[in-house]
Amino acid sequence: MNRSYLFIPGDVPRMLQMLDVFDADAVIIDFEDAVALNQKDEARFLTRNFIQTHPPKAIEVYIRINHIIDDPKETMKDLEMIIDLPISGIVAPKINRLSLAKLDRYFEEKTSPLKIIGLVETPDVFFDLMTLAQHPRIQGLMLGAEDLTRIMNIERNLTGDNILWARSSIVYAMHSVSKEAIDTPYTVIHDHQGLAKDATIAANLGFTGKAVIHPNHVEGVHLAFTPTEHQILTAKKIVEYAKKNQSIRFNLDGKMVDKPIIDKAHALLEKYAKNGDKS
Amino acid sequence: MIIVGTLESSDCLITIIPAETLIIEVDSIVYDAFGQQICHVIKHTLAKANITKAHIICQDKGALDYTIKARLETAIARYQEEGF
Repeated sequence: MNRSYLFIPGDVPRMLQMLDVFDADAVIIDFEDAVALNQKDEARFLTRNFIQTHPPKAIEVYIRINHIIDDPKETMKDLEMIIDLPISGIVAPKINRLSLAKLDRYFEEKTSPLKIIGLVETPDVFFDLMTLAQHPRIQGLMLGAEDLTRIMNIERNLTGDNILWARSSIVYAMHSVSKEAIDTPYTVIHDHQGLAKDATIAANLGFTGKAVIHPNHVEGVHLAFTPTEHQILTAKKIVEYAKKNQSIRFNLDGKMVDKPIIDKAHALLEKYAKNGDKS
Repeated sequence: MIIVGTLESSDCLITIIPAETLIIEVDSIVYDAFGQQICHVIKHTLAKANITKAHIICQDKGALDYTIKARLETAIARYQEEGF
C-alpha cells in the first residue's frame, strides 16, 4: 500500500523526467484535469514515449485517463496508448458501476492485468461503494473532494469537517476488503502546517495513503502515514513482552494490553518495515 | 501549418508546413553536441510515418530524444488528420 500518490501532468517533459526523484511512493501521470483539451494528444504521445524509454523501476506508475462515460472518444484514445505500457494501473475519474464495467470489459478483452484506482467524486457513488470495493479490478478508491464539493455546492474548508462522512465511508468500505483507501489531496501548496494537520486527520481516520498535487507535499504526507518513533518503540515493547512471557493479557507501564493491542502492535511494525524499504 | 510542443526547458517546438520536398531545420541550444542526433530522431520518425514531403522546423530547448519523437509524432498525427 502506498502512502503517497503524486499527480504529474502528462504533457510536461521536465516533470515526467523527474517523476522518480520526488520520493513519492507512487505517481499518477495525468491525462485528465491537468491537461488542456487541445493538448490531450500531446500528453498521450509524450507519456507513451517516456515510459517506453524509461520504464519505471523503483516507483509505481499510474495514469489518470479521461472519463469513459462523459468523454468516450478521448478515453479510448488514452486506453489504446497505454494498454501495453509497463505501468501498475489507471486512475478512473468519477468511478461508478457503469464506468467500472466498461473499463473492466476493455481490459478483459485485451487480457490486461492493469488495476484500477477509482476516483470517488460524485454523491451517488457513496451508496455503491461496497460493490466497487469488492470488484477484483479495483485496487483502491480515492476521494476526489474538489469535484464532490463542487457538485454538492459546498465550500472545501481546511478542517475537512464537511467531508468527514465521505472520508469515513471510503475508509470503512476499503478496510472491509483490505484494499487501499486514498485520501483527497490538500490543495494549498505552501501551507505545510495545514497539510500536516489534514494528512494526520486522514491517517487517523484510517486512510492508507493520500493523493498529492505538489512534490513539496510528499514529505509531509509520508510523516503522517509513517508510525512515530514512540509508536514503534511501544509496539516493539508490547511484542517483545508478549513473546517473552507467552502472554496475551498483561499490564505494561500501567496500560492493560490484550490480544487486539498485541495484533495492532504487530501490524504497526509490519507497516513500518514495509514503508522503511520505500523511504 | 501544425505546431506542437513548447519552448520551455527540456522541451521542443515542432512545426510542420506542407512542402514539395523534405526540408528539416533544427535550431537547438545544444546543436554542436546533439544536432546530428536530433536530425537522426526526426528522420527516423518521419520515415516510420512515411512522410517524404514536408518542411519540419524543430526549435529545441534541450529535449531528450523521446520528447522530440513524441512531439513530432503528435504533429504528424495532426498533420495527417488535417489531410495533408
